Amino acid sequence: MSDQPDPKRRVSLQILGATLGASAFAYAMEPLRAWSKDLTMEQFLQKHYKEMSKDELAKVLQRVERDTKESYGATVTVKDPKPLPGVEFGYALNLSVCIGCRKCAEACHVENNHDRRTNNSYIRVLEMDQGTFDLERGTAQYAHAVPAPGKYYLPVQCHQCDNAPCVKVCPVQATWKESDGIVVVDYDWCIGCRYCEAACPYHARRFNWTKPEIPAEQITTEQGYLSNRIRPQGVVEKCTFCLHRTREGRQPACLEACPTGARVFGNLLDPASEIRWVLENKRVYVLKEELGTRPRFFYFFDE
Amino acid sequence: MKRLLPTLLAAALLAGCGQPEQRHEAAPAPPASSGRRYPVEIHIPPKLTSIDTGKVDALGRPIRAECVSCHTARRPERLPASTAELRAFHQGMSFQHGELACGSCHVVGAQDTLRKADGTLLPMRDAMQLCAQCHGPQFRDYTHGSHGGMQGHWDLSRGPRLRNHCVDCHDPHTPQFQPSNPVLPPADRLLPPAGPSRPGFTVPRLSQEPHR
Amino acid sequence: MNATSHVVTYPRFLWQAVTRAFEGRPLFYAWMTFLTAVALVGANAWAHQLAQGMQLTAMTDHVSWGLYIANFTFGVGLAAGAVMMVIPAYLYDDHEMHDVVLVGELLAVAAIVVCILFIVVDMGRPDRFWHIIPGIGRFNWPISMLTWDVLVLNGYLVLNLHICGYLLYMKFLDRKPDKRWYIPFVFLSIFWAISIHSVTAFLYGGLGGRPFWNSALLAPRFIATAFITGPAFVILLLQLVRRFTSFHVGDGPIRTLTSVMRVTVLLNLFMLGSELFTALYTGGAHSTAVKYLFFGSHGQNALVPWIWTAVAFNLTSALLLHLPATRRSLGLLDLACLLSIVGVWIEKGMGLIIPGFVPSTLHEIVEYVPTMTEWKITAGIWAGGFLVLTIALKIALPVLTGEASLANEKRGEG
Repeated sequence: MSDQPDPKRRVSLQILGATLGASAFAYAMEPLRAWSKDLTMEQFLQKHYKEMSKDELAKVLQRVERDTKESYGATVTVKDPKPLPGVEFGYALNLSVCIGCRKCAEACHVENNHDRRTNNSYIRVLEMDQGTFDLERGTAQYAHAVPAPGKYYLPVQCHQCDNAPCVKVCPVQATWKESDGIVVVDYDWCIGCRYCEAACPYHARRFNWTKPEIPAEQITTEQGYLSNRIRPQGVVEKCTFCLHRTREGRQPACLEACPTGARVFGNLLDPASEIRWVLENKRVYVLKEELGTRPRFFYFFDE
Repeated sequence: MKRLLPTLLAAALLAGCGQPEQRHEAAPAPPASSGRRYPVEIHIPPKLTSIDTGKVDALGRPIRAECVSCHTARRPERLPASTAELRAFHQGMSFQHGELACGSCHVVGAQDTLRKADGTLLPMRDAMQLCAQCHGPQFRDYTHGSHGGMQGHWDLSRGPRLRNHCVDCHDPHTPQFQPSNPVLPPADRLLPPAGPSRPGFTVPRLSQEPHR
Repeated sequence: MNATSHVVTYPRFLWQAVTRAFEGRPLFYAWMTFLTAVALVGANAWAHQLAQGMQLTAMTDHVSWGLYIANFTFGVGLAAGAVMMVIPAYLYDDHEMHDVVLVGELLAVAAIVVCILFIVVDMGRPDRFWHIIPGIGRFNWPISMLTWDVLVLNGYLVLNLHICGYLLYMKFLDRKPDKRWYIPFVFLSIFWAISIHSVTAFLYGGLGGRPFWNSALLAPRFIATAFITGPAFVILLLQLVRRFTSFHVGDGPIRTLTSVMRVTVLLNLFMLGSELFTALYTGGAHSTAVKYLFFGSHGQNALVPWIWTAVAFNLTSALLLHLPATRRSLGLLDLACLLSIVGVWIEKGMGLIIPGFVPSTLHEIVEYVPTMTEWKITAGIWAGGFLVLTIALKIALPVLTGEASLANEKRGEG
């Protein structure tokens, strides 16, 4: 037993070790103090969007407005427009006239209050070789004048699938399809596991790798709770066909920005709508149809 | 109320024969059976009635001259044979529009009007009817909202809509879209940042002016 | 006093477990201090990651899962692989294996803890953990495979804790365990072990947008690799136990586990070859990820050295395991085990998760190389896993040898 310290010394060593360990632990976890500053009990206990009463939701909207004022110095209005009865949205894009200028991506960047440092946008425009649908032969990283000879352009955004893989995989039902066909995310319910990002075949989802940075004067102040309000750090976001605009009868921001009129938006249930005319009269296809996702975003060509 | 635009534009096109002064840019929507419909207006681009002088005012804004301010006095006796003959504000204009000649659209002595193939005269602002003579499929798509772009509402029971004019996007003399540099290149977070300040990022390039 | 009252004896059992967990020789303290230090480095990195966001990782919207999920996948395999001791011990009545089976079950417990930690650090909002608790949050069961994973992983943890806890407690009381209280759970745990790894494979395999994962062979491959790493790890662990404790470990279990490995290493290579043949012979867009993984694509080849290391290690270990010399030399066996653990860790970690994202769904190639933050957190979690395993063995082995028992405790007091 000579190699064993005597019991008293051993106990004091253990106490010393425990004290050292505890203080090392406290030191290691110190950065959490900065993190927990932004967390309140109110937010922690906030219910799922679908479980909130009208009053509870109203309070949450006010809280988001207050937080935006505090964190970003901008006075914003956060509303929660509901799906319109008798309306299911559809979107079509004319590949014959798209010139790949990325004005739509830019409009999205501004409208949806994306982080300014990353040029984030829900729209990714691929430059494709004419004569192929093979995405393998496309690139989003083009930096020359457009349209370039021999190329066509394929803007991709959320397809608001009827059989949406992202909705299926979400473990906490933080994302779902609304009655007007829009797939939305409750940014205050998402746990940030990014399973939806892995499941989406269209690269439509984005993760907030950090807290978005936007100068106060650049913030789009008309905001929707399920759409373009500034998202918290660590949650997933996506295109909502600008529901804060479209549920009020307006066109999505990307459509208004398009200089060629390649984009057609409207109510699929209205036989007189422009989108129905396109679906009935143009050569229309959807991306990756074989996956069975049943998109509500269509591509078409002129003759 | 169904297919508002086609009706409107077709009416305008047909009416063009007898009533060249018909204004279709702010026509009110036909009475709808159910509820109110907001109008669809067509934007009238300034270049139909004025021209850039190449000069700027004290605030740096370009000065435009109304066509009539010169052409009430200056009425050339014949149309130029080529762009090389053009003078003053029209000098240096490039022309690339099929096999057309100046006289295909313009009228001697009536510089503020256009002439359709059948000889009827059109005011400048109705230029779309002239374009539609040759570009039928484009005009058809335009009337169905799938060419040319717009601002405003998809739901006309909730608000109006403003359509672009052909000439908003296409220069009638060189209608082909001219290549331009794309905006907002993707700047994904490809490299991890060293700290709170993150040098790897490209500065966002927002185009300064909104479309039109 | 009624000595059999569990109200009295169970707290005693727990108390002796706690005291034993913190007592040992200097080497034990050194080992625990080292693990604690690494775990703290990881904890610190995680705290930074929470505060500053996951911008501190190398993950992007293109490669949205990385080192954490890679290690998670490997960890589930390790947990499931431990069942390769349970099957011989209980199904085939291998008595020598029966004596050491608890080591495997404790390894499963530690591995599940590692898996759960890797999921937690991969979450953008771990503060919202309650959203995923069934009955309290909104649990998207049975549609989301991730909810299945939550159920089976936690279920497996509880099952193994129960089996180990019950058997140790009975041994501590020096009573014969009641079969009704553990045999059904043991058999359930065998099926459960298969389920945890199948569910984890379905998590990836069910995604139609990711051709590299969307393969029916993924679950069988996962099971095969689990039955490589599980036995390999246990073989090494049993030798360490033999060396550093008085607990008796026979050669039988090691021989049995080696036989299992001889089959599974070949099975794994065969299935890997089948996947490669299907992808490469067919060609087209579905083979792009495989080509990227093995040969690089468009000048990008971050994974090429990884995967060829894995292939070399797996082939070498398969060869070593079948050499007659390895039957005689524990050194060669240990080398084979080490090589296969590292080989599988790469193959189903970085070699499986990352190519699922490269090329991305829009066929863009964005590479992924983990950052220091990710390595620190990963090392920290594995250190935490070893802490759990060491403490578990520290508590369990003396009970199994009879050194720690109620009778001894009383004697000590008396």
